[in-house]
Amino acid sequence: MSAPLLELRNITKTFGKNMAVKDVSLAIGQNEIVGLLGDNGAGKSTVVRMISGVTKPTSGEYLWNGSAIAHLSRSVTEGLGVETIFQDSALVDQMTITRNIFMGREMTNRLGLMKVKKMDAISSQILDSVVTIEGIRSPRQLVGSLSGGQKQAVAIARAVHFKRTLLVLDEPTSALAVRATEALLAYLGQLKAEGVSSILVTHNLHHAFQVCDRHIVMNHGEVILDVRKEDTTVEELTAAVVGGRVGLDELRSGETARRDATR
Amino acid sequence: MQTEMSVPVPSGVAGGPASPRTRVAEHHSLTTWFRDRRGRGALEVTILFCLLQLGCIIYWAIDPKKFAYLSAANLSVMSQSIPWLGLLAIGAGVLMIAGEFDLSVAMNMGMCELVFIRWYGSGRSAWLCAAICIVLGVAIASINALIVNTFHIPSFIATLGMASFWWGMQNKYVGSGGPAPRIDDAKLSPQLKSVISANLGLGIRGQMLWLLGVAALVWVFMHRHKLGNHIFAVGGNENAARAISINPRRVKWMAFAVLGALAGLAAVLQGVQQRTLIPGSTAGYELEAIAGAVIGGCSLRGGKGSVFGMILGVAFVKTFQAIVLLSSLPAYYLKVFIGLMTVFFVIINQFFESKAE
Repeated sequence: MSAPLLELRNITKTFGKNMAVKDVSLAIGQNEIVGLLGDNGAGKSTVVRMISGVTKPTSGEYLWNGSAIAHLSRSVTEGLGVETIFQDSALVDQMTITRNIFMGREMTNRLGLMKVKKMDAISSQILDSVVTIEGIRSPRQLVGSLSGGQKQAVAIARAVHFKRTLLVLDEPTSALAVRATEALLAYLGQLKAEGVSSILVTHNLHHAFQVCDRHIVMNHGEVILDVRKEDTTVEELTAAVVGGRVGLDELRSGETARRDATR
Repeated sequence: MQTEMSVPVPSGVAGGPASPRTRVAEHHSLTTWFRDRRGRGALEVTILFCLLQLGCIIYWAIDPKKFAYLSAANLSVMSQSIPWLGLLAIGAGVLMIAGEFDLSVAMNMGMCELVFIRWYGSGRSAWLCAAICIVLGVAIASINALIVNTFHIPSFIATLGMASFWWGMQNKYVGSGGPAPRIDDAKLSPQLKSVISANLGLGIRGQMLWLLGVAALVWVFMHRHKLGNHIFAVGGNENAARAISINPRRVKWMAFAVLGALAGLAAVLQGVQQRTLIPGSTAGYELEAIAGAVIGGCSLRGGKGSVFGMILGVAFVKTFQAIVLLSSLPAYYLKVFIGLMTVFFVIINQFFESKAE
């Protein structure tokens, strides 16, 4: 079997005395959608920041297609093709939608001059086709004038336009309307068919269960559950997210008890 | 203007295939053109500037003797005083867009100007002296960038300190108590004089062409080049820029370097015009330059501004100067006006910013 696309081995991250992520090991396969679940403060966002290269782990290994990445940074992960939608969107309010989408990756001629109209046209097109969101008038609108959901749509549009190998979505649906959420989740399936893996970070278990091939549950900075969709249920995921290890044990012993009773 | 006007795209024209209507509407009209510019820095100051000019011209038309606004003498004064301050304001504005300030820009310019006057005055080639001026300006500004980037201290206070440093260095360069360096009349070549400040007609001087040329270059750089886009991004939201792998330190250094180069060029323009400089006498230009940039719509919080607005901001300041001079008001009125105007424009720019789409 070929090596996974991304593998984290024994990753730990401390902020001062506070250990945010404790000895986490996980892998993301080729063409796989993985749900990273957990309650607030479980360490999901820290893991996301390390996967996207913005934060460096305190210890542990980061492997890409089986080979270890020595000096992790955002420009390295960008080169690998990791694209992240951050929880706080990472948009510039004072700039237009187009300039946000193409920020740092402008389409230019040989002199570095931007192809403004071409970028505007592409922005319109991806906003229309990928994320169905109401109320965006023009790609030349300032991001600061948009609503929370619209901003998130722009962030998603940016990430999927530059899709390459791994898309990381940190709570992408928190400000989206139901219809836009459905469209986004469907789009992840389409990306998978095109060979793009995704990590969906969310605490909406139903969204995760709907599209993910595998689920990883974190609790207090540790991975407590890593199961394929076929081998789990929404009940088990809920128990793990809400109750942590204790919740899982209770659920399992309850199930055993029930099984024993019916026997 | 901040962005070029788009050509209206006819959709569903008879004979042509009717293009499917997209939800993100791509139709253009005067209204959308207006909505895309409102509150972004240049539109409001342009309107107010036109009104001010209209007022001055009407006053002049009514009473050309008492208020000689469009006289050759006044146009000559204005077209020589707007350019060097305009260059400083463009520099200050670009740096403000990057989210930083340089209070040492006036002392940077003064240092460059002294070097220019002394070197050119001792018979060296004008091209060499101008090049040295610009390199020196970039070097002095780069020191500021290095301090700000390395120690992460607010540029406001770092450059306040450096302003004092370069004021002192100007005195050291000239020699304490020594006479201010000057370019003798005989040594100033007529070619250099005409390259810098030829009379273009109606009293308008060649410095204006230098300003407009440089402004056009900086406009292309800031509003059309990807590096300018990075300056806006870093000034607007440094973390967002970093997340997308833009290096904020490099971008900030670049903005400081643009300011330094413009300070060097401003020093050449003023050096040729004045031919002498008392060390430290450029004090206060930094505030006028920042005032010009702010009047022109630059945000003090970074990420917003336009080159067009910066020039209009300076033209605003200098128009008020002309009004004070021509109406024979006491000179302190100028300070009063500039002060009030800066505060007024910060307030209205903030108001219009909230209306931006």
